[in-house]
Amino acid sequence: MKTIQIPFLRTMLLAAALVAAVRPGKAQVFPDSYINIDWQFNVPLSNDFADKSSGWGMNFEGGYFITDNITVGAFISYHTNLASVGRETLRLSPTSAMTTNQKHSVFQLPFGATARYNWLKHSVMQPYVGLKLGAAYAEMSSYYYIVKHYEDSWGFYMSPEIGVSIFPRPDYRLGFHVALYYSYASNSSDLLVYSLNNLNNFGIRLGVSF
Amino acid sequence: MIVLLAAAIVSCQKDPSTSDLHKDYLVYTDYDGGTNFSSFGTYYIPDSILLIGGADKTEYWKNTQALEIVGKVAANLDGRGFVRTDDKETADLGVQISYVRRVSYFVGYDSPYWWWYYPYYWTPGYWGDWLGWHYPYRVYYGYTAGSLLVEMLNLEADSESGKKLPVVWDSFIGGLLSSNAEINQQRTVEAIDQAFAQSPYLKK
Repeated sequence: MKTIQIPFLRTMLLAAALVAAVRPGKAQVFPDSYINIDWQFNVPLSNDFADKSSGWGMNFEGGYFITDNITVGAFISYHTNLASVGRETLRLSPTSAMTTNQKHSVFQLPFGATARYNWLKHSVMQPYVGLKLGAAYAEMSSYYYIVKHYEDSWGFYMSPEIGVSIFPRPDYRLGFHVALYYSYASNSSDLLVYSLNNLNNFGIRLGVSF
Repeated sequence: MIVLLAAAIVSCQKDPSTSDLHKDYLVYTDYDGGTNFSSFGTYYIPDSILLIGGADKTEYWKNTQALEIVGKVAANLDGRGFVRTDDKETADLGVQISYVRRVSYFVGYDSPYWWWYYPYYWTPGYWGDWLGWHYPYRVYYGYTAGSLLVEMLNLEADSESGKKLPVVWDSFIGGLLSSNAEINQQRTVEAIDQAFAQSPYLKK
């Protein structure tokens, strides 16, 4: 009696899907669609709480060509920006005060719908402009002493983007992706003596496209 | 499905390195806004520090390091115009110092019952005819090993009819433990100065 393990089956199915995705003459598993998986570098523009640029984030996105130029789809991304704060005295209330050093963190997780206008669909370089709209979850955290103190919030998210997908062999539909983005989220929260009012970011995404 | 994916991605949040946070100490202070500290003149402070979590009995720390800490608190109070007295019965204020050696405990601001449950803490009866402690303001501490508590008690308050002894100022100092005893002592002394520096209302 022969047995086959589930993980092996899963691996085979995944391999078959990838082979199908890059088959010559066929666009991908889902025809007339695209998938991007990107690492991203994010620069906070209006956030003094955790203002250090960082590469702690990713973007996942997929869409469908409703015409040769226009795609619609969905996205989800996440990012963490950090900052170190030296020892300072915080007036927490009219009667209480705390002196400590801290590490600050802002974690952003936007997700929603995306649309792009694409050019040169069948060429090596395929530029586009896009717009993402959706919701954003954000977590504002301060680490001090042995404590993580945090507040979370939800907001509206909007992000225009320009980018280019690079397919060395367009018929294989397996290539690279580069994009520049700006993003705005309406999240607001207060923590200790700090306030966060809206999140504005600029960044770059580098990844794969298929 | 996107919500499930979002839940999974939340675990990708990058936590900052907190190792350098342990190289510094935290000082938290609070007081009763209804207390006029300038109305007090004298204070009594024991020549020992109560140790919490070190043994299954009430234990006091009395060596030269403890005396240096007590002396630092007293020097700060003297500098604010209060006068130290050896007569506990006539003192306006009592000051008690505790060092958390081993246990960890959290006290919520609306449930400060730790003093009722912990059997080896300062007893209200030490200060007179009191049946318990009273905090006129919100209290929230996270006690861990290596913490120092300095509390100021209003011994002039009404003690009739089983009233509780009011704690009118408190200081929680955390992060005092390192592998070097000399550094620990230096941090403790500096932190006491900081506790008074951020409490300018403490003056005669």
